[in-house]
Amino acid sequence: MNWSLFWDLTVSGVTLGSVYALVALGYSMVYGILKLLNFAHGDVYMIGAFVGWFGLHALGGPVSPNAAAWVVIVLMFLVAMVACGGLGVVIERFAYRPLRNAPRIAPLISALGVSFFLQNSALLVFGASFRDYDTFHLIGAKTYNYGDIFLSVPQILTIVSAIGLMIGLTLLVARTKIGKAMRATSFDREAASMMGIDVDRVIASTFFIGSALAGAAGVMFALVFGQIYHFMGFLAGLKGFTAAVIGGIGSIPGAMLGGLLVGLAESYATGYLPQGSTFQNLYVFALLIAIIIIRPSGILGKADVKKV
Amino acid sequence: MRRRATAIAALLALAALAVVAAASAKADRAAAPAAASSADARLISCGNTRTMGVLGPITGPAASLGKLQIDWIKYYISKYNKTHKKGKLRAQYGDTVLGGPGGTAEAVKAAQSMGSNVLGVVGPAGSNEVRATTATLKNAGFAFVSGSATNTELTTDGTRTGFFYRTVPPDSAQGTSVANFINKKLKFKRVYIIDDQEAYSTGLADTVQSKLRSAGVTVTRDGVSQQQSDFSSLIAKIPRDTQLVYLPWQLPPKGKAFGQQLRSAGKGSIVLMGSDGLFDGEFASLGNVYASSFPTSATNPVVKAFKKSHGGDPEYFGAPSFVAAQVVGGAIERACKDGKATRGEVRAQVRKTNLKKTVLGLNVSYNAQGDIKGGQFGIWKANAAGTFNPVS
Amino acid sequence: MADDLTPRPPPDQPRIGVDEWVASVEGKRERYRGPIGWLRRGWDEAPPGVRLLVFVVPAAIFPLVTTEGNLFRYGLITLLYALLGLGLNVTVGFAGLLDLGYIAFFGFGAYTYGYVASSQTGRHWPPLLAILLAIAVAAAVGLIVGYPSRRLVGDYLAIVTLFFGQAFVVFVNNANRIDFPLIGHADLTGGANGLANIDPIKILGWTVNTTKEYYWFTLGAFLLVMVLLYLVSESRTGRAWKALREDPLAAEVMSMPVNRLKLMAFVFGAAIAGFAGAIYGSVQTGAFPGDYDVGLLITIYAIVILGGAGSLAGVIIGALIVNGVPELLRDANEAEWVFYTTVVLLVLIKIRPWLRLAVVVVGTLAFGFVLHAIADAAFPRWTAGNPGEGALAHWVSHWMLLPTHSTQIANWAYGLLIAAILVLTLLKGWWRTIVMIPTIWLAAFVWENLLVEQTAGATRFLLLGALLVVLMNARPQGLFGTARVEIA
Repeated sequence: MNWSLFWDLTVSGVTLGSVYALVALGYSMVYGILKLLNFAHGDVYMIGAFVGWFGLHALGGPVSPNAAAWVVIVLMFLVAMVACGGLGVVIERFAYRPLRNAPRIAPLISALGVSFFLQNSALLVFGASFRDYDTFHLIGAKTYNYGDIFLSVPQILTIVSAIGLMIGLTLLVARTKIGKAMRATSFDREAASMMGIDVDRVIASTFFIGSALAGAAGVMFALVFGQIYHFMGFLAGLKGFTAAVIGGIGSIPGAMLGGLLVGLAESYATGYLPQGSTFQNLYVFALLIAIIIIRPSGILGKADVKKV
Repeated sequence: MRRRATAIAALLALAALAVVAAASAKADRAAAPAAASSADARLISCGNTRTMGVLGPITGPAASLGKLQIDWIKYYISKYNKTHKKGKLRAQYGDTVLGGPGGTAEAVKAAQSMGSNVLGVVGPAGSNEVRATTATLKNAGFAFVSGSATNTELTTDGTRTGFFYRTVPPDSAQGTSVANFINKKLKFKRVYIIDDQEAYSTGLADTVQSKLRSAGVTVTRDGVSQQQSDFSSLIAKIPRDTQLVYLPWQLPPKGKAFGQQLRSAGKGSIVLMGSDGLFDGEFASLGNVYASSFPTSATNPVVKAFKKSHGGDPEYFGAPSFVAAQVVGGAIERACKDGKATRGEVRAQVRKTNLKKTVLGLNVSYNAQGDIKGGQFGIWKANAAGTFNPVS
Repeated sequence: MADDLTPRPPPDQPRIGVDEWVASVEGKRERYRGPIGWLRRGWDEAPPGVRLLVFVVPAAIFPLVTTEGNLFRYGLITLLYALLGLGLNVTVGFAGLLDLGYIAFFGFGAYTYGYVASSQTGRHWPPLLAILLAIAVAAAVGLIVGYPSRRLVGDYLAIVTLFFGQAFVVFVNNANRIDFPLIGHADLTGGANGLANIDPIKILGWTVNTTKEYYWFTLGAFLLVMVLLYLVSESRTGRAWKALREDPLAAEVMSMPVNRLKLMAFVFGAAIAGFAGAIYGSVQTGAFPGDYDVGLLITIYAIVILGGAGSLAGVIIGALIVNGVPELLRDANEAEWVFYTTVVLLVLIKIRPWLRLAVVVVGTLAFGFVLHAIADAAFPRWTAGNPGEGALAHWVSHWMLLPTHSTQIANWAYGLLIAAILVLTLLKGWWRTIVMIPTIWLAAFVWENLLVEQTAGATRFLLLGALLVVLMNARPQGLFGTARVEIA
């Protein structure tokens, strides 16, 4: 048993899975409250990556930053998260709120319109060329190892921040008042508003948090894998959506689990199966079918109770 | 009853009106007549400004490639117009959205949007796009010269002879040079080939794989998606005793990302080689990588001038499009000598192209199928400083 | 909009308590006001055959009125997308199943047709037989995918079908290199290069060759499917599907075989997609893997939902809009006209009291001229840029600022414009009128300096996206859909 290969694959799977988990969280949170699949989420992730890039260059650029590398990175994260959170709130206010009581498919198309708009605006304003984060110059590519397990600095950064953000989110949802309000609203929107909860505010906060997480995911992805361009949100959105559904859409721990699972599945499929990289989608598909047949609402999802 | 009838009549009238209005609004654009002969023979007045059609991916996932090509084409046109006081060139652009949602249908739409005063076409960029647009462009009588469609069958299957030309050697030529270099010069025995699932890539990969396998080299093959940026699992799978990884890819940033991830995984001793799509400063910045390319020269004055006006980046991927524009522009100029030209004349002139010492480092003249006579690729190596130097 | 017996609540509140069935239909019709209302009454009262003619007649006249090859292509592609939309309408609109792998059936149809009728594979079946085979194969695949999924609800069905679609593309892209267990090496699909040189369609001796002829053929096919679908939707099965879509639980309680109905809708939609795929394969003279990917799926979804899920007429309108807007904006000169006409129309229609309208129009013109004059005098670099080609652009350049190095400024102006438009929707009364003046000017500024250069590219998709958002907000049920009413 080639442990070295196993650990390498596991580390990549967990790294990528963390990024997917953050994107999936945004999908799940919004779905839990609004029963809406926000297809523009992937493009918010893309904007986050670009904002991070601009932040990086405003602070002097990767080769000679104006402050210590760690300070620069924290600032990049903060700026991207705030900007994306704001963007999410704006999108909700103008593209989804008027459609809150429309048939479920209408906001889907509105989300699509927002996605087209964001992608092509990015193309128009930022241009078609790829932009590089140049992490190598910023924080180097030093690798730490523990036995057979090798972890590079960007990978550690990604995994640790993702865990941190997820813990933060869980605490927020479980312990704070706004978290309680979010849980109540996702359970029964009308009853929550009758209890005096400002539903609009709660939904806006949900979008803010979900989009901020997507922005963080964008910066993380770019730090580990290097390049950003206007179309990068497409695949991330798709995978994040898959992860959210596998874990049970509407469930926050489900999104985290789903993200990890998708990341690991891709990694192992690529590493162990013949022509695994070419056909990785097919293999992940098979895994999905298996999971959904065994647990039709996703792994941690709750079966929807239909009230008559 | 009468109210109903009048309502219906009103609806019909409105609808018919709308259609007629829309149809007549576009009356200034080209008709695409069924018979190629009438398009061939239709005289287009040359006048002071001649129009060249340009088909390429302006938007969509391949927009970065389209930009490289269009930058070089625009550069050609501005150079041409500086030296030609009468008879300037202008371009009409058609966005083929290579790899986009509409698929090849977008390419055909773009091809069909070429106006009635367009004399010849540069592009399309992708091999599948060439296939899909052949019927339309042939029907319109256009010569279409591509700067990047390298699939071998495009010139060997006979469906577009006399219409389609290209300024890049085909995959068979490139694949052969690469395979020979790996086998005979580097003498490697264990090779990994990774394609990016696009037609250009799989064609090249197939050629190199079969040639290497028949020479007794162990070849493992896999693929990634062009949208992918995370290669870590695939890299983990590549055995450490692999000697060379061949990447027939189109996007230099992805090639660079792969190289960086390969090195940070501790497998930097594996030699990395790219196809002509990776012959770019970004990929070269990795240092000590190979790529195949036509024999361009960084000291060529045209290349130097282009570099200067484009922030120091020669953007070699677009250079064949420059030559394609040269071919079409030159053909238009010659056909327009008498003030009027037909698309058939422009095609005949393209066939007679004879350019010496183009930026590609090759002389461009065509054989009967539409390929450059004697076109071939050489292998280059990037030194540690990140500049490519020819090694074969 | 449909009027009801009770006044309409604001758009973000549910309409509770009014049962669409209870409210009298005739009463609603009487309430249609104005010329639009008159047309709508005519539409509602017209028998279905006549309604079909309203679409068929312009579509049939179209090729006779123009010789414009480009328009044929547009018409042909619109028809094909509308045909695909009809099939998706059955699955999503009639039965309410979110099928995200629908485009794979389209691909199956194209590849099957190509496999038995192309020069590349060497087989030349009679095209009609090949089309029938394509439909059969697509339906069979629909059955295979639909059967295990029939119990899945909503989003889980979506995920499974999405990945089926992805799996199809990957398979088809690599099927020339796979070593099958029994057959050995077989080139099924030509791999990434696709199945090229597909035969044109031949019916009864007529070979369909040019775009115009394909247009006629596709129009015929489209009409056939339209009529078929209309008959189906009026039949028992169609009514059962609609009941299923509205409330699956109630349908089940009414002893409708819900799972069987879902499966039928799925297979029916797949069959129509297969038919469209066969036509598309011969239209493009080849089947290429990239054509059957998620991008096109999203376009077809936009078409169906924009037109109104469940409405046959809506699919046509949706196809015209989603396909037409980018086409209309492809040429910079035409786009110029479209842009300014739209702005002027919007201003004229949306600003009601004449006084306010006058203020906005005069104010915007004055604003522009004043700025231009100041810039001419004090900052000449701000008016020295290139105006576009064409008469309209030339006139506009006297009213507008055209800085020489406009990229950076235009980018910031773009962001500012988006912010301004959003703020505008929040203001009311005179504040709105006043802020509207610089906003309109800013819109023209961004257009002239940024958007118009990329009409062939990013601009048209950008504007399509904005249009989708606006249209969905204005009419969430789709243009021809019926408004949903919640019974609390």
